[in-house]
Amino acid sequence: MEEAKMVTKSLFMSYSRNAPPALKDVTMDIRANSVTAFIGPSGCGKSTFLRCLNRMNDFVRDARITGRVLLDGMDIYSPEVDVTNLRRRVGMVFQRPNPFPFSIRENVAYGPKLLGARDESVIDEIVENSLRSAGLWEEARDRLNDMATSLSGGQQQRLCIARAIAVEPEVLLMDEPTSALDPIATARVEELVRELKRDYTVAIVTHNMQQAARVSDTTAFFLMGELVEYGPTDVIFTTPTDQRTEDYITGRFG
Amino acid sequence: MSIYLLRRAADRASTAALYGCMALSAAVLGLILAFLAYRGVGAISWEFISDHPRAGMTEGGIVTPIAGTVQLILVSMAFAFPVGVTTAVYFNEYSRGGALTKALRLAVRSLASVPSVVLGLFGLAFFCVFLRFGASLLSAGLTLGCLALPTLITASETALQNVPREFRDASYALGGTRWQTIYKVVLPSAFPGIITGGILCVGRVAGETAPIMFTGAVFFAPGFARSIFDSVMALPYHIYVLATAGTRIDKTEPLQYGTILVLLALVLGISMVGIVARARLRKRL
Repeated sequence: MEEAKMVTKSLFMSYSRNAPPALKDVTMDIRANSVTAFIGPSGCGKSTFLRCLNRMNDFVRDARITGRVLLDGMDIYSPEVDVTNLRRRVGMVFQRPNPFPFSIRENVAYGPKLLGARDESVIDEIVENSLRSAGLWEEARDRLNDMATSLSGGQQQRLCIARAIAVEPEVLLMDEPTSALDPIATARVEELVRELKRDYTVAIVTHNMQQAARVSDTTAFFLMGELVEYGPTDVIFTTPTDQRTEDYITGRFG
Repeated sequence: MSIYLLRRAADRASTAALYGCMALSAAVLGLILAFLAYRGVGAISWEFISDHPRAGMTEGGIVTPIAGTVQLILVSMAFAFPVGVTTAVYFNEYSRGGALTKALRLAVRSLASVPSVVLGLFGLAFFCVFLRFGASLLSAGLTLGCLALPTLITASETALQNVPREFRDASYALGGTRWQTIYKVVLPSAFPGIITGGILCVGRVAGETAPIMFTGAVFFAPGFARSIFDSVMALPYHIYVLATAGTRIDKTEPLQYGTILVLLALVLGISMVGIVARARLRKRL
């Protein structure tokens, strides 16, 4: 088993001063080069937790976060951390495909250009490699200058994955990446997720337990802001220790 | 009567009322255009739009005020467009909705309701006298720019608000800074909407008389303005002059209606260019 890539320690988060905590005392490891799935019913805090890992919750004005989130041992909430560099290292794919209203090529090139890539041949190479890794190269190679919106929903989501890996992140966070896709497109993205762990550490939020079972090595079950249980996926889905986990995965609530 | 018949009757009546109101507005607009075309079309000729006014405005053309109005539009937009868009970006992307922002927003809204003649007097006092720009293209253009600012800011703000949050999220998640996100994603996506605001403003700017009559528009200029410190002739003021200051009404009246038609055509022409530009941008996005 690999080392922990990210670690959270007693993470509390609330959306405003008076709101009840959205996350309560979450302590867990996310292992390198593996897929960690976060499951739980709507509003359980799994997406909130994911967004703490690359500080996307910074945009919530009154959010309060205590506890620690470590990336390779470095506290990502410490004042000397450069948030933009953190987000480059910890990439994110969102629930609904959100390509920019640019061409396919420009979407993938966006991140590298932010980081200062200017040489067109270098950018071309990054675009090709990223699209290959996202399994979109064969479909997109002849239409790189077409608008990203001309792709189907599933292709758009794979484009968003290509865009995310074009900046060579170390961790890839995926927030219900298939919830807006049809079953065939979902299967392709899941296959991709399993391939991505070779090069990246993947954390994926899903409302679909079968998906968690299919793609992940480790599963974490959240309920009402608490991390109820986490461990190897096959253990969680066959012999959970907590009664609530068992009730959820057997479909007694959710 | 059954409830179904009642509902159907009410539905038909409201449909008829809406169509009626629409027809009425269209009729008013059509009537105005038809009247102006009828009175003015006789004056339109190549000479009319290519010649300078002659013989105390009773002969010749209106190329001087046409050029003046175009110059005024350019100066006012060169000022108002960057300032307005930047202000909207501040309001929408940077401010956190504090007291300062609320006060500034209120100021912008109030600026929109200032009568244009008051704005003209402000321009006279501030640009012409205080900043010593004199009665000039520059003073008049800046005054018109002030007139356009509130509309431009509001339109730009709306356009920025309509940029999906997902675009911003994607940019930030890739390690984009706030400025990179605004400059590379938000502004390009909002641009068609901002252009629409600009088009509305150009129409307004081209047609205003009060803000320019004290600040730079003149009764008569012997030729084109060659510097921003020259005074200019302008179409709306020219119309005003033809309508009020002439003694040879038989000769100036057709010219007056001709000038009105040219002004309308100019404003419509600019709108068309803007609409085509916007459609192209939209297609590219």
